Amino acid sequence: MSTFLATPSDWPLVLTGRAGAIAADPTDLDKAVAAGAFDALRVVVRDLGATGTIATIAASGLCGRGGAGIQTGESWRATASHDTDQRYVVANAYDADPGVHVSAALLGADPWTVIEGLAIAAFATGATEAILALRADDMALVTMLEGAVLAAEEAGFLGDDVLGSGHRVTVTVRPVQGAYMLGEETVLLRALEGRRGQPEQQPPYPTERGLWEKPTVIDNVQTLAAVPWIIREGADRFAAIGGTTAEPRGSGPDLGTVLVQLRGPAGAGIAEVPLGTPLRALVDLAGGVGSRPLKALLVGGPTGGILPADLLDTPYAVEELREAGAQIGSGSVVIADDRACVVDLARLLTRFAADQACGKTIPCRIGLRRLAEIGDRIAEGRPRPTDPALIGDLAHDIVASALCDHERFAVLPLTSGMRYFRSEIDDHLLRSACPAGVCTPIAMAAGAATPGPR
Amino acid sequence: MSFIPGIGLVRGMGLTLRRFFQPKATIRWPEEKADVAPKFRGRLQLLYDEFGTLKCETCFQCAQACPIECIDMGGMDTKGRFHVHWGPPETYGERREESALRRSGRPVADPAYARFETLDPAAVDEILEAHDYDPRDLLAILEETQAAYGYLPVAALKHISRVTGAWYATIYGAATSYRHLRFEPPAIASAAPAGEGQREQEAGYRSALDAALGYGSERPG
Repeated sequence: MSTFLATPSDWPLVLTGRAGAIAADPTDLDKAVAAGAFDALRVVVRDLGATGTIATIAASGLCGRGGAGIQTGESWRATASHDTDQRYVVANAYDADPGVHVSAALLGADPWTVIEGLAIAAFATGATEAILALRADDMALVTMLEGAVLAAEEAGFLGDDVLGSGHRVTVTVRPVQGAYMLGEETVLLRALEGRRGQPEQQPPYPTERGLWEKPTVIDNVQTLAAVPWIIREGADRFAAIGGTTAEPRGSGPDLGTVLVQLRGPAGAGIAEVPLGTPLRALVDLAGGVGSRPLKALLVGGPTGGILPADLLDTPYAVEELREAGAQIGSGSVVIADDRACVVDLARLLTRFAADQACGKTIPCRIGLRRLAEIGDRIAEGRPRPTDPALIGDLAHDIVASALCDHERFAVLPLTSGMRYFRSEIDDHLLRSACPAGVCTPIAMAAGAATPGPR
Repeated sequence: MSFIPGIGLVRGMGLTLRRFFQPKATIRWPEEKADVAPKFRGRLQLLYDEFGTLKCETCFQCAQACPIECIDMGGMDTKGRFHVHWGPPETYGERREESALRRSGRPVADPAYARFETLDPAAVDEILEAHDYDPRDLLAILEETQAAYGYLPVAALKHISRVTGAWYATIYGAATSYRHLRFEPPAIASAAPAGEGQREQEAGYRSALDAALGYGSERPG
């Protein structure tokens, strides 16, 4: 079980605050209730009611952590507003990025806060069926969660009569596997329906036509885990966490905290950080840069951006990262020191993104492959004169015709590399040399050029 | 409007003369090309890319869209992952069987097609019964079928399609999109479990990233 990195004491812990108190046995419902689990559900059922809950969540400014940055209160309201016989709530705990285990870590450390968030979301939107979808890799975690759901049902927090309100909430744990794209919300919904895992055109959004064509709330587990805290502590306190100076307090998508998977030469781990924290603080959390100078930060996993060292003061927030050419994405932040070559990294990430694409849209299926081939050509020292311009044009076309976020962000490694590390790429392009000594261009292998300093 | 005798006749002859001197509609293909709507698709055709591999991704979207299920596929899929069994060879085999029966009154055993034909559907029936014959549980049905047989036999998929009423193309299309499902029994007894396909790719990505960063190969987290 992953433990969370210790963060400075003035950083609020919204998602993992209870994990320490129940660390001895996270599956023990009585201990968790003693530590405050399901208090928020009681408040929701007894005092707030469905509309009051949605109003509280909307007032807190909580946004979806899945990347789209949609206000959770708005999507709940949209789902509740449709006249239908059935609604669904789906928790997306599929960590698609192979290097990231934040959802599994959160579920393993404190399953109750996610289950409580699911129950509140189902109660507020009038849904009777809630689904917790997670990776099938860790079957021990799946079994543990099924046990937790059963225990909560027996204690009356879930089931036919939630806390005596007469409302029915059935939580199902659904392990899914077999494709990277399952992290995308519409793909996950198709997989839960037993159909081919490919994204759908939006709109209609899942809040209108989701699982089985019924209105569906689909939220990341981090979003749902923040919900009980907001109900308990109040929307105002949540809106005071995070945020950046660029936008007025209490607005914008950058409120609250997120889980970040850090990885560096000196350490690795998962930490809960408020949004808007400078990247420099994240580097310090990961144990600093070690003995070698920091060269770049990979922010956002395989479809994230490569940011240079002089952007370390950029806040870790949706808007600022988007402007810098990266994204929060999977929540992965990887430190690269001067042993890494940007061209090599970018082509590796692009190749993975191209291999894992579902192949539904042609710009994604063929365009990403062509981008990866351009990266290979540059790394192997046989670039064509048009390649630098082609990267920009192709990336623009892929993004412009994108169907889902995978396609929209998969061009980021190469475009951000071109933007910030142009001199290093020019070394590859013009002099057939790799300054980091990672790539072996054909000319260098034949002895025509000298390798750069290592 | 005043009535002029014979005006209809004059109009009709006018149209005839106009048409007579207009250019003819015959197109001298291939010197001339027809002007067709941009979405016109003409004949369905499989194309090859510049490396000589099929451009078809076996995504079965065309088969799923075809209202009369007239599109099917056969051969190795373009990513080299599995055989697409349903298609010309098998259809041909079935027809040959039929004609042999007609001509000689006895079937011709053909070991190459034996795999498609013999299957004890008891295990599939049990799984379907447990899922209430509901095609909405398709992924779970497929996973349990694979657990029962070790792979997904085409005959089992056909059986599921027939019993639940879900289209074969939909079932096959869903099954081919997930890497933990396979369509052939493993060639060696010590083969990796079926779910390894995706995990291998993910582990490959992790180690390649670590190598690119110059880190050791320990797992994060």
